[in-house]
Amino acid sequence: MSYLFLHLKREFGFLLRQKYLVVLLLCTFAVSAFAVISGLSEVSQQRETIERLKSADLTERLNVQTQQTDAGMLAYYTFHLTYSAPSNLAFAALGERDIYPWKHRVNLLALEGQIYESDAQNPELAQAGKIDFAFVLSALAPLIVILLFHDLFANERTSGRYDLLVTTSSSYFALWGARILVRFILLLVCLMLPFYGGAYVAGSSIYDVLLITTMCVAYLVFWAALCIWMGKQASSAPRVASALIGIWVLVAFIIPILGDLAINKIVHSPKGGEIVLTQREAVNDAWDLPKQITMDAFVASNPQWKDHVDMQSEFEWKWYYAFQQVGDEKAAELSHAYRDAARKKYQLAGMVSWFSPALLLQRSLTRKAKTDAIAAFRYEHQIRGFHKCLREFYYPWLFIKGEPTKAALNNMPSFSKTILNEKDEPEVIGVQLK
Amino acid sequence: MTTSTAINQRSPIEPQRVEQTRNKASNTTQATKNEAVIEVDSLNFSIKNNIILKNLSFSVAAGEVYALLGGNGAGKSSTLKTLLGFNKPNKGSVKVVGKEVSKALDFVRGKTAYLPESATLYPHLTARENVEYFLSLADIKKSDEQINAAFNRVALQQDAWDRNMQTYSKGMRQKTAIALAILREAPIFLLDEPTSGLDPVAIDEFNQLVRELALTGATILMVTHDVYGACQVANRIGLLKNGELVGEFNAPENGRINTEQVHAAFGDYKSRGN
Repeated sequence: MSYLFLHLKREFGFLLRQKYLVVLLLCTFAVSAFAVISGLSEVSQQRETIERLKSADLTERLNVQTQQTDAGMLAYYTFHLTYSAPSNLAFAALGERDIYPWKHRVNLLALEGQIYESDAQNPELAQAGKIDFAFVLSALAPLIVILLFHDLFANERTSGRYDLLVTTSSSYFALWGARILVRFILLLVCLMLPFYGGAYVAGSSIYDVLLITTMCVAYLVFWAALCIWMGKQASSAPRVASALIGIWVLVAFIIPILGDLAINKIVHSPKGGEIVLTQREAVNDAWDLPKQITMDAFVASNPQWKDHVDMQSEFEWKWYYAFQQVGDEKAAELSHAYRDAARKKYQLAGMVSWFSPALLLQRSLTRKAKTDAIAAFRYEHQIRGFHKCLREFYYPWLFIKGEPTKAALNNMPSFSKTILNEKDEPEVIGVQLK
Repeated sequence: MTTSTAINQRSPIEPQRVEQTRNKASNTTQATKNEAVIEVDSLNFSIKNNIILKNLSFSVAAGEVYALLGGNGAGKSSTLKTLLGFNKPNKGSVKVVGKEVSKALDFVRGKTAYLPESATLYPHLTARENVEYFLSLADIKKSDEQINAAFNRVALQQDAWDRNMQTYSKGMRQKTAIALAILREAPIFLLDEPTSGLDPVAIDEFNQLVRELALTGATILMVTHDVYGACQVANRIGLLKNGELVGEFNAPENGRINTEQVHAAFGDYKSRGN
């Protein structure tokens, strides 16, 4: 033990005398700390937004209930906040949360338009993404590993010290082992210390922290081993660095970008705007269609209401909400195609990630942090489930009973209760989880 | 010890004569085998199809300074690298303290202090820090007094001991490296072109130091192309040409090898394209 400690201590002192390494490690710590702090801040803002909206949502709902008594009017004016709360690890991997929406206010109107409305926003605004810990780790950390390890052997060779060092050291560990270990440990500390601080603040579980630490160590070991292996083969440090930076650019940027381009070329997906348009056209057209056509279409998918679709007047809320649902059903095919394409893209991206360790790590981290596309699919699935609950709540009042009672309104579905009751099965959203 | 008469002093050297010399050298080696610390026997080493060392045999005994003399590309450094285990022989044996180098690498390196041609230690460390660092690599702990004594012994000026080595001259760097070798207390010294680039005063100091080390019983093998320097310090000189030992000179008792004879022989080899 003291043998190990003595060599590590010597190499630690030796590293501290190399100013560029110290500066590099301090920069690593600063970038990692910045990423963690900005992640915590983003998550904190999202939580605050959710809490604020939840409170406003409740106030507004109660306000509507005091002003409206008719089931149709209540359903029309009562909005419900749905949200995907960030997990305790989301600060480390913000993932797709800036691309896929994590909050929607929905009412009983046609759902597809409400879900895909945001799809018409300018995607370029979300393209740049945020510098989170996952990005620092997967994309920037390899560069730091390269800078730390590429000249481990080559620098000694070009300086003419290699033979002297090798013949002087008592063992391989005494020199290279200790030198590699000290650099690796310090890099790990600089990268992970801010993460541990963030995990403590965010209340992440020990299990998650250990799992992410294991992933990080494995990833950094991969890059360090590659640097050491290539460094041993060559005698010129710049040549080793050039080759390693080439590999880094390839696996961290080129493969993911080309993969993304190829996937988008292979998998054709309807635009969210098309879904919204289809649904809205169906709803608008319904005003001009004979009501029986709408009701027949509605009964075809909701046979339980077939005995209650007769209309007594020119406008009835049940017809209004029936054509909203029929509008959704008209857009259902496109909506399914959209979701199938998104799942297909996600799965293909998974295959691409086997050729890009950076992408693989990022996917693993966002999966663990529940900030990836799967989490977005699940949230969308939850909204659909919640909308179904809303329909089940309102339809009896709209089709049969009339004005809902106060007691019934107290039992109105809420999104948070719905998601608590939902089974967290992966097949629900159609993507196999690993 | 070896006989103390010079052998093979002709120039130019006829092939037949060279062969005889080699036989004599071999006999000499045989005579000292019991005391030999470094034994190189029928060593062959090549890289791809390029023959670097061909049937090379020589030995060095304790307290002896052996200079392997040759021009550029003669195989001098390759011989040292083979002794240090960096090159794997194709044929033949290389033994240090009776152990085959390839089979007892750590043992051999532990017994050997190697001084590379350009002893570039860490420029951002002081001489003392460099020495402490390298000693620590070898699991050796020395006191400040012992390090000071080594610096004094190699005549490294005191005001430089705690100064970063980036300001050092080549001679000062060599002295620091020798101080390190002394502190390692290794019984064997392998010196690669040790006086290359040194000024005459530094060369004299260095030669004096090498002789002192030999008197303490150290085994010293140096490779050089400096005929004069080799004659000043070596008990024996081996002439290397195209990876072959083509001649050997022994110093007379209490005397030095005749520089002119070696120069003549060496000059002849060099003029033949080596």
